[in-house]
Amino acid sequence: MPEAVSIDPIALEISWNGLKSIADECFLTIMRSAFSTNIKERHDHSTAIADANGRLIVQAEMALPIHLASMSGLMTCILAQYRDTIKPGDIFIGNDPHVAGGTHLPDINLAMPVFDGDQLIGFVANIVHHADVGGAAVGSMSGGLDEIFTEGLRIPIVRLFDGGELQDDIMRLLMLNMRLPAERKGDLNAQIAAAKLGNQRISEFLETHGADYTVRLFDEIVRRTNRRMRAAIEKLPNGSYSFSDVMDDDGAGTEDILITLKITKSDHDIFFDFAGSDDQVLGNFNLTFNATQSAVCYALKALLDPEVPNNQGIFDAIRIEAPPGSFVNCVSPAPVAMRANTCQRVVDVVIGALAEALPDQVVGAANGANTSAVFSGIDPRTSQQYVYLETLGGGMGARATKDGKDGVQVNITNTSNLPVEAIEMEYPLRVEDYALIADSGGAGKHRGGMGIRRSIRPVGHTCEFNGVGERFRNQPWGIFGGQSGAAGMFEMVDCKGNTTSLSSKASRVKLSPDARVVISTPGAGGYGAPEDRKPEALAEDQASGKFTKGFLASNYARKD
Amino acid sequence: MTDWVIGVDVGGTFTDFSARNKKDHHIQVHKRPSTPDDPSRAILEGLRELLDIADIDGAEIARIAHGTTVATNALLQRRGAEIGVVTTKGFRDLLEIGRQVRPKIYDLQTDAPPPLALRQNRLEISERIGAEGEVVSALEMADVEALINEVRSLDGVESIAVCTLFSFLNPTHEQLIAKALRNAFPGVVVSVSSDVQPEFREYERFSTTVINAFLQPEVSRYMDKLSRALGNVAPNAKLGIFQSSGGLMSVGKATEFPVRTALSGPAAGAVGAAAAGAASGISDIVTLDMGGTSTDVCLIRNGKTEIANMRDIAGFRIRLPMVDIHTVGAGGGSIAHIGSDGLMKVGPESAGAVPGPACYGHGGVLPTVSDANVVLGRLPEALAGGLCLDKEKAFQAIERIAKPLGLSVTATALGIAGIVTSNMTRAIRAVSTEKGHDPRNFVLMPFGGAGGLHATDVAKSLGLSRVIVPNSPGILCADGLIESDLQENFVATSRARMNEDLIAVKEALARLDAQADKWIVSETDSASPAQKNASVDMRYVGQNYELPVMIENAQSSPQLPDRETLIEGFFAAHLRSYGYVDRDAPVEVMNVRLKAVAPLGQAMAQPESPKGPPTPDVIQDVWFSADAPLSTPVYQREVLPIGTTLTGPAIIAQFDATTCVPPDATVTVDAALNLIVELQDA
Repeated sequence: MPEAVSIDPIALEISWNGLKSIADECFLTIMRSAFSTNIKERHDHSTAIADANGRLIVQAEMALPIHLASMSGLMTCILAQYRDTIKPGDIFIGNDPHVAGGTHLPDINLAMPVFDGDQLIGFVANIVHHADVGGAAVGSMSGGLDEIFTEGLRIPIVRLFDGGELQDDIMRLLMLNMRLPAERKGDLNAQIAAAKLGNQRISEFLETHGADYTVRLFDEIVRRTNRRMRAAIEKLPNGSYSFSDVMDDDGAGTEDILITLKITKSDHDIFFDFAGSDDQVLGNFNLTFNATQSAVCYALKALLDPEVPNNQGIFDAIRIEAPPGSFVNCVSPAPVAMRANTCQRVVDVVIGALAEALPDQVVGAANGANTSAVFSGIDPRTSQQYVYLETLGGGMGARATKDGKDGVQVNITNTSNLPVEAIEMEYPLRVEDYALIADSGGAGKHRGGMGIRRSIRPVGHTCEFNGVGERFRNQPWGIFGGQSGAAGMFEMVDCKGNTTSLSSKASRVKLSPDARVVISTPGAGGYGAPEDRKPEALAEDQASGKFTKGFLASNYARKD
Repeated sequence: MTDWVIGVDVGGTFTDFSARNKKDHHIQVHKRPSTPDDPSRAILEGLRELLDIADIDGAEIARIAHGTTVATNALLQRRGAEIGVVTTKGFRDLLEIGRQVRPKIYDLQTDAPPPLALRQNRLEISERIGAEGEVVSALEMADVEALINEVRSLDGVESIAVCTLFSFLNPTHEQLIAKALRNAFPGVVVSVSSDVQPEFREYERFSTTVINAFLQPEVSRYMDKLSRALGNVAPNAKLGIFQSSGGLMSVGKATEFPVRTALSGPAAGAVGAAAAGAASGISDIVTLDMGGTSTDVCLIRNGKTEIANMRDIAGFRIRLPMVDIHTVGAGGGSIAHIGSDGLMKVGPESAGAVPGPACYGHGGVLPTVSDANVVLGRLPEALAGGLCLDKEKAFQAIERIAKPLGLSVTATALGIAGIVTSNMTRAIRAVSTEKGHDPRNFVLMPFGGAGGLHATDVAKSLGLSRVIVPNSPGILCADGLIESDLQENFVATSRARMNEDLIAVKEALARLDAQADKWIVSETDSASPAQKNASVDMRYVGQNYELPVMIENAQSSPQLPDRETLIEGFFAAHLRSYGYVDRDAPVEVMNVRLKAVAPLGQAMAQPESPKGPPTPDVIQDVWFSADAPLSTPVYQREVLPIGTTLTGPAIIAQFDATTCVPPDATVTVDAALNLIVELQDA
C-alpha cells in the first residue's frame, strides 16, 4: 500500500467524529428497536465499521470489549469465503465460534457491505446477544453441556440478504431452531435496521467526502491508533514476563485448568505466547482465539492507555499465539458458552505477568469471575414458570495508590444488578440480605475489594438453583506482597440452620421454602505488604466494620 | 401595588436578574458577579441595584422566583452534612454497592464516589415489608429504642435518612422510625424515603433520600438567611424556589426536599427557552445553552421540556422528575490541545473564569474557543458593557497550537470552531435519536454567552434549517423563572396487569389527587385554579423500564381511563420510543404520577420595538472559510427594529451574547424581538 497522503489533524478529528457518530447511531437504533430486555437494559450489543479488507475502523462508544475481536473475526470469515462475490444489498449473518469468528453462540453477528459505485469501501457490522438460540437448555448458556452442538444453533457465515433480497428460507431455518422466534425476529430486525442505517449513513459520508478520502481516512485511523498503541508499548521495559493461573473447574470433571502466558517485549513489539496452557476441556469454559484476543486487548488497553480507540490498530500492535486445541484457542466441537469467566482469568494473567513492568498500573487479582445465579420454578401465585438470572460483581483488585473497590463488576463485564424490590415484585423469591462480606478483601498496603453476599429464599414453593462461580478454590491473588482475597462460595442453609456447601458449578439444586441459598462472590487481592498499610486506613477498616478485629490482628502484624 | 415579578438566577460566574411589571409589561434586566462563598450576598446587592436602576419600590415586588446552585455545588464539592442512615437489616451496604457497575469499563483506576454516609453511620434495624406491602417481619419498639441509642453514639450527625425496603407500598415502619428519631433528636433533620420519592427500586430511592439528607442542613441555613434578608428588601414578596422538574415550590418545600433543586439553574434555562419559542410560535426546539465550561442541550416538544425521571449528578443517582438536560464538556473557555493520538481536541479542560481565555487579558495563555472566535472576527473586540478583548493575545494563544500542527492560525481557529460543532452535533444527535426524534424537525435555540456564535454551524451540520436566538440569550434562565408556575409532583407505585382488576391503580390515583388538593390549599393562593396532569408508567410484562402514558381528560380530578385507552396510549408511546409494538404481549402499570400546576398568571410581555436605524457599528473581516475573510457588518442588537431582515454575513452583538450569521443565511427580527435565522442550503 502506498504511503497515504496525510490528512490534517483537524479534518481527521472531525471526520473521525463523524464515523463514531454513525457507529453510535447504529448502536442506539438496536437499543431502541430491539425486542428483548437484554439489549434494552443491559445493552449487550455492539456496532462497528470496517474497511474493505475487514479491518475494524470504528466501534460505538458503548460497544463491549468481548465483541471487539468477534467483529474482526466475522470480517475475516466473510472475506475468506465471499470476497469476489460480495455485492450491494448483501447482509451476512453468522454466530459460530469455530467457523464464523464468534465467541459463543448467543452472539449473532451481522455485516453489510458499503459500496461506492462498484468499489467495495467497507462494512457496517453489529452483534447482539440473543436471549436464546436453541440447543439443549433455555437461554443457550447452561452449564454441563459438553459439545457445541448442544449449546444452540450453529450458523456459519451465510447471506441473510442477497443483493437486497431477504433469503426467507434461511430466516425460516433460523427461526425454527430458536425458542422464542417472535422475539428473535424482533431483535434480528433491529440488527438489520441498524445495518441498513449504517450503510446509508456511510453512503452519505461518501457523497460528501468521496471514496478516496474515506479510504485514506480509514488507513489514517488505523495507522494513528497503531502508532499510539505502539508508543504505549514502547514505554514498557524490554524483556520477557511470565505468569500462570488456574481456573477452578469446568463443571464437567476437569479441575485446576492451567492458563500460562509468556510475554516478550522488544521495543515497540509485544508478543503474547500461551504455549503450555492446558488442552481444551469438556465443559463450556473454552475460549476461541477471538475471545482470548479480546481479553488480551482489554487488559493491555486498560493498563497502557484506556482511552485508545478500539480498532484494528490495536490488534496490529499485539501478536498473540495460542496452541490450537488448547483451553485458550479451542477447536470444534469445544463448547464455549461460559467464556466470559475464562476471559476474566486471561485478563488476570496478563495483569499478573506485567506487574513487574507496570507497577503503577497493575492491580491485584479481581474476583475473576462472572458469578451467575439462576433461580427457576413455578410461581405459586400465577402457576406460571419463571426464570430469574443474575450476574453478581465482587471485589476489584487493590491498586498502587488506593484500595480495590468493593462489590463491583470487574474487567470485561460491567452489567448492573436487578433491584431487590424488582426481584420480589416479579418472582416468588425473598432476598434476605445483600451485603459486602467482612474480611473478604486481601490484606495489603492497599487492600483488595470485598465480595458480595446475597441470600435468596423461595416463597411458598420449591425452586431450583443453578449457579456458575469461579475462584471458589483458587483465591484472587495479591501483588507486591499483598495477600489473597477470600474465595467465593455457594451454600444452602436449611430450616434448621444447617449449611451445605454447593459446587461452584451448582446444578439443579432443589430449594424448599424453608431453605435459602447464600451466594458469596470472591473478594480481591491486595497490593503491597500489609505492614505498610497506614494506621488511619486500618482504623477505618475496623471502624467501618468491613474487617474484624481478629482479621486485622492476624493479617497486619506490625514490622516492629 | 405589588406589580413586579423578579427572576433571580445564580450561576457560577454571574447572578442574573429579570424583572417584569405585570401591569405595564415593563422589563428590566440586570447582571452582577456571583459571590460563591455566600450566594445570597450577590442576590441582595444585585436586587438593590436593580431596584435603583428601574426605580422600583421593594414593597411593589409580588414574587421573587429563584434558581439556585447551592444544592448542586454542595453535591459537586461533596460539601454537606455528616449524615446517618437507617435501613432494613441485611441491607446497609446496598447504598455502597449501588448498581454494582463502574464508571468506565477500561479504566482500572476510576471508581464511583464513595457513599455520602460512612458505613459506621449506616445502621440496620429488624423489620421487613414484602412485595404486596404486607408486614413480613414486624418492627419492634425495643429495637427502635436500641436504634436511638446507637444513633446517640454517632459523632456529629446532623441529618438522618430513613430508607427501608418496600416503604413505597407501606410506609408505616419508616414513619414510626422517623417519628422516634425526631422525638429523640429535635436538632437533627430526618429525610424519609417514602416522603422523598415513594417509588419502587430501592437503590434509586435510597440514594435520592440520602442526597436529600446530605443537602438539608446547608440548604435550610441558606433558605433561612435568604428569606430573612429578602423580607427586609421586599416585604410583600413571596419567594419561590425553582425545582429541577421545571416549576416553583415554596421555601418550606425547598427546605424539606432540597434534592429537588439539584438541577434548578439549567432547568430554568430550558423553561425560558420554551417560553421564548412560544412567543415566536415555535414549539419544537433543541436548546444549545453554551456557557464558559460546558453546554447544556435539551429537547422541547410541543412547547414542553422533555422530562427524565433519573439522573446522576457528580456520580450520585437522583430519581425524581427533572428537565431532561444533556451536558457536553465544551464551552467558550474550553481549551484546544493536541491529544495523545496527535489530533486536535477541544475540552473538557477549561480556562474557567480565572485565568479565562487569553483574549480576556487576565493572564490566560492557552488557546480557547473564545480566542478562536476572536481570531476569526466572529467575536467583536469591543463587547457591549465596555469589555475589550485582546485580539493580539488571542492570536498568540492560537499560534501556540497552530505551530505544532503545521497549520496557519486562521485554519487552526476554523478547526477549533469545527471541532466544537462536531462535538455539539454528536451530543444533539444522541439526545434526539436516542429518544426517537429526528433533529431535523426541530429549531435550534442557542443561548448563554457563546451559543449564538456556533449555532448556525451546528444547525447546518444537523440538517436543521432554522435557528432562533432569543431576545436576551444571556439571561434566559432568569426569564424562565419569571415565566414559571408553582408545581408539585406526586408519585405512587401501583402495579397491575392490564388483564387484571385496576381498582388499586384507580385508588392510587385518587390518593394522589387528594394529596394534590391538600397541596393546593396549603401552598397556592387559589387566585387561579390549579391544573392536574396525571400519567401512568407502563411496560410490557417482563420489561424492566417503563414509559409514561399521559392521561387526558377534562375533569378537574383526573380519572383513570378505560383499559383500551390506556393500552392504546402505551402502544403509541412504545412505537414512538422504540419503533415497534407487539399488540399481543401483556402490558402492566407500574407507577401513577400526578403533576399539579398552579399558574401564577404572568402574562406574556409585548416587547417594544427598538427605534433603529439598523445600521452597523463597524465593518470587519470575518473568516467563514480558510480562503479569504468576508467584509462583515457588526450590528448592535438594540438598534434592530421589529421586521428588520438582514442577509449574511453579519455579526449581531448585544450586552452579553453574540450571534454570528453566515453568508448563506438571512436573519429577521420578529415581533417577539427574537432573531429568526433561515439557512439557505440545509
